[in-house]
Amino acid sequence: MEATLNVLSTGDLGISTSTDGVWDKVCLAYPLLTSNELPEECPDDDNVLKEINELKLNTFVEDIVICRIEQIMRQKITPEFWGRFSGRKTEIDGFERFKGAVDYLYSSLASFLSTVEKLEKLRFISRFNRVIYGEDTLLGAFKVIMTSTLLSQLPLTHQVITEDFYKVSFKVFCNTDKSEADQDESTEDVVQCGGCSHEIEHCRCQTILSVFHETNRKLIELDLLERLAGEVITSLIHIRIENHVQESCKGSFDTSYISSLESWLSTVVLGWLTHVYSGNAASTQSSIKKFHQKISHFLYETYTRTRIEQLFNIIIEYPDSQPAVEDLRICLQKTDLRLYLTQKLQRALETRLLHPGVNTPDVLTAYVAAIRALRQLDPTGVLLETVTQPVRQYLRWRDDTVRCVVSSLTEEGPSELADELVRGEALQLDEGTPLDEDMANWETWNPDPVDADPSKTSKSRRTSDIISMLVNVYGSKELFVNEYRTLLADRLLSQFSYNTEKEIRYLELLKLRFGESQLHYCEVMLKDVYDSKRINAHLHSDPNFNLDRQQFPSMAMILSAQFWPPFKEETLELPSFVKEHLQIYTKAFETLKGNRTLSWKPHLGSVNIDIELKDRKINLTVSPTHATIIWHFQTKNQWTVEELSQLMHVPATVLRRKIAFWQSQGMLREVSTDSFLLVEESATRSRCPVAPDMVCEDEETESAMASAHDQREEELQVFWSYIVGMLTNLDLMPLDRIHQMLKMFASQGPTAVECSLQELRHFLDRKVREHKLLFSGGFYRLPKS
Amino acid sequence: MCTTSIFKYLPGWTGVATWRWVANDDNCGICRMAFDGCCPDCKLPGDDCPLVWGQCSHCFHIHCIMKWLNSQQVQHLCPMCRQEWKFKE
Repeated sequence: MEATLNVLSTGDLGISTSTDGVWDKVCLAYPLLTSNELPEECPDDDNVLKEINELKLNTFVEDIVICRIEQIMRQKITPEFWGRFSGRKTEIDGFERFKGAVDYLYSSLASFLSTVEKLEKLRFISRFNRVIYGEDTLLGAFKVIMTSTLLSQLPLTHQVITEDFYKVSFKVFCNTDKSEADQDESTEDVVQCGGCSHEIEHCRCQTILSVFHETNRKLIELDLLERLAGEVITSLIHIRIENHVQESCKGSFDTSYISSLESWLSTVVLGWLTHVYSGNAASTQSSIKKFHQKISHFLYETYTRTRIEQLFNIIIEYPDSQPAVEDLRICLQKTDLRLYLTQKLQRALETRLLHPGVNTPDVLTAYVAAIRALRQLDPTGVLLETVTQPVRQYLRWRDDTVRCVVSSLTEEGPSELADELVRGEALQLDEGTPLDEDMANWETWNPDPVDADPSKTSKSRRTSDIISMLVNVYGSKELFVNEYRTLLADRLLSQFSYNTEKEIRYLELLKLRFGESQLHYCEVMLKDVYDSKRINAHLHSDPNFNLDRQQFPSMAMILSAQFWPPFKEETLELPSFVKEHLQIYTKAFETLKGNRTLSWKPHLGSVNIDIELKDRKINLTVSPTHATIIWHFQTKNQWTVEELSQLMHVPATVLRRKIAFWQSQGMLREVSTDSFLLVEESATRSRCPVAPDMVCEDEETESAMASAHDQREEELQVFWSYIVGMLTNLDLMPLDRIHQMLKMFASQGPTAVECSLQELRHFLDRKVREHKLLFSGGFYRLPKS
Repeated sequence: MCTTSIFKYLPGWTGVATWRWVANDDNCGICRMAFDGCCPDCKLPGDDCPLVWGQCSHCFHIHCIMKWLNSQQVQHLCPMCRQEWKFKE
């Protein structure tokens, strides 16, 4: 201060008055220049101001006063203010401290007001104006000084107390709001007030609310509300929103929550905000509106995230969780969480579905549910395509996928896929004329979302239904149709009912979907069954064939071998009298159909037998192998597996499995290893009960058809002759060369067999193990013979 | 010594058999399809697409040989042995 005055005295103003006198007057007008206390009222004396003006000291005086104000703020008020923010004990304590701090700030700043007014008056007298800190008015500049000083000394922990203050008041607010809503509910047992946590008699809610209003009013007046508390309020609201969303939609997917959440937001949260801003109306409205936009976006985002977290469960429960999916669809349009959804759901699918612990039918059920739910979520199908990509990939390498799909397609009883198959017809008809419609509705056309695969048309995504999506897992209809054919063959040959109405119905449904030509073979198979029934009836009714005068009636299922899947090759030597019967049947067939004959598959068929033992009679339907085994026990009541195996031409392992069936029936007993005895009296059976752990083989699981693996083996054998030819001529060849040659020669023509490099390697490696090939240094060659 | 009479009464034995044509070849010489299958124009094998024998003892799907014979303006010859085609009675 001294230095400034020296400059003044030596300056070029040429002032006659003594500097000390002027300084005293200035100090008189602005007492804060000399006092160390907070400024009091400035004396109401305009003469000094006029004098200052005449001395042209107005800017100088303004400068030093502002400088002094800054100093006091910096050194006294601000440390004092922030000092009250530390050392808080409880929430209520924090509340009080915040209130105290704001009160202090407000009152101490109010004491500056007269000084500021006086400066303003000086400006008015000297008709002088300038911009300080970007503000025209001195009051504005004063506020800038205040906020900047406050914020420059912001302590690290200041938010704790601010938070306390707003938390307490929010709690009180929510409580009063609630108690207004449900006053009738019994409150007799409640000792504590839900708002302020005091006993009901000493409830301080009203005090807290009035303090809250007062403090907010002061903060608004100081323009400090948003700076000081904005962040805290926002984060407080965010936490409230998160908690509320979590609480209200935890685990229930069958109701829509959007509207209830929105109304909660506009009543509770906005109500509180209005309380916070309860000051001057005009600015309140715009701030609240701004706030509303922010927090309603946040509400949507929170809700969407919550739903995305639950999406896997939502999908599993799909038709019931439709409201939740609909909510999510609306929310996705308002938020930018599509990518998040894709990633999250994909990860959920991978961790919860795509591991060996889940059965294939369950994976398929989940996949079908996902198809339905995601269709609703995103009608364009892009989401579905990207999210379920790993599921499809996974299903592709599960061996039993096709079988599961086919069997659930044709399953009895309630099955989603079977329903879908029945519905399929109508669906396809609807898609008949999409092109014209597209042109008519061009105004409503929408581009595909950005994450769509550009190589596919949007129409293909929109139209493919669930069954085609399942079939597309493999990319070819043939595989499906083949699997269906095997399944059908198994069913026909295990039932022997000649009753094909149901199968024909399914076949017709499948034909609608897969086309006539694909299922032609199956049609012939069903016709075989139907024809067999007719031939049987015909042969038995015609007395010339002598069939009905035989010891027992023999029937046949006559198949067109070319149209059935390959049978498992098994041998069985039937009892001679059965062979005779079948011979007679063959004769009759040959007479009926000139130039045609029958080759029997002795191990296939079904035999209905009556067994009479000493004390019981049993009627059973068994396979020819089972019947033959028990027949042999007529001549001798004890056999070893070895003897039977030689007699029946059946491998011992197979035989033992079949014998297990008779053991489970209590007909045979293993007296010593591999030696079986006929149990003639049930009394003996009860004395030595059937071993409980004996595994009775499930008849239905055994397929009469060669497995897909065996069929593939046979196809690969075709290559072997080519490979031998190649190696004889070229001596040494690496794997990829062989593959290329095979592609060139063997894969041409109508019966081209595809063979991947990997498969070929397996095939060749096996040949090496069988010593049919040599492998060294990356080259295959034939062994020298 | 054995009192069991398992097959005293046998209610029924259903066997499985595949049918085939009794012919001297597996495939039709004209369409190269299996005899036990059907000619390219047919869907159902057996009764609906039978075989016929010529006096030269060659046989074909009836639809195949008829198509062949109809395409021959002058003389009806067996496509295999070029002898005159006559249906075997």
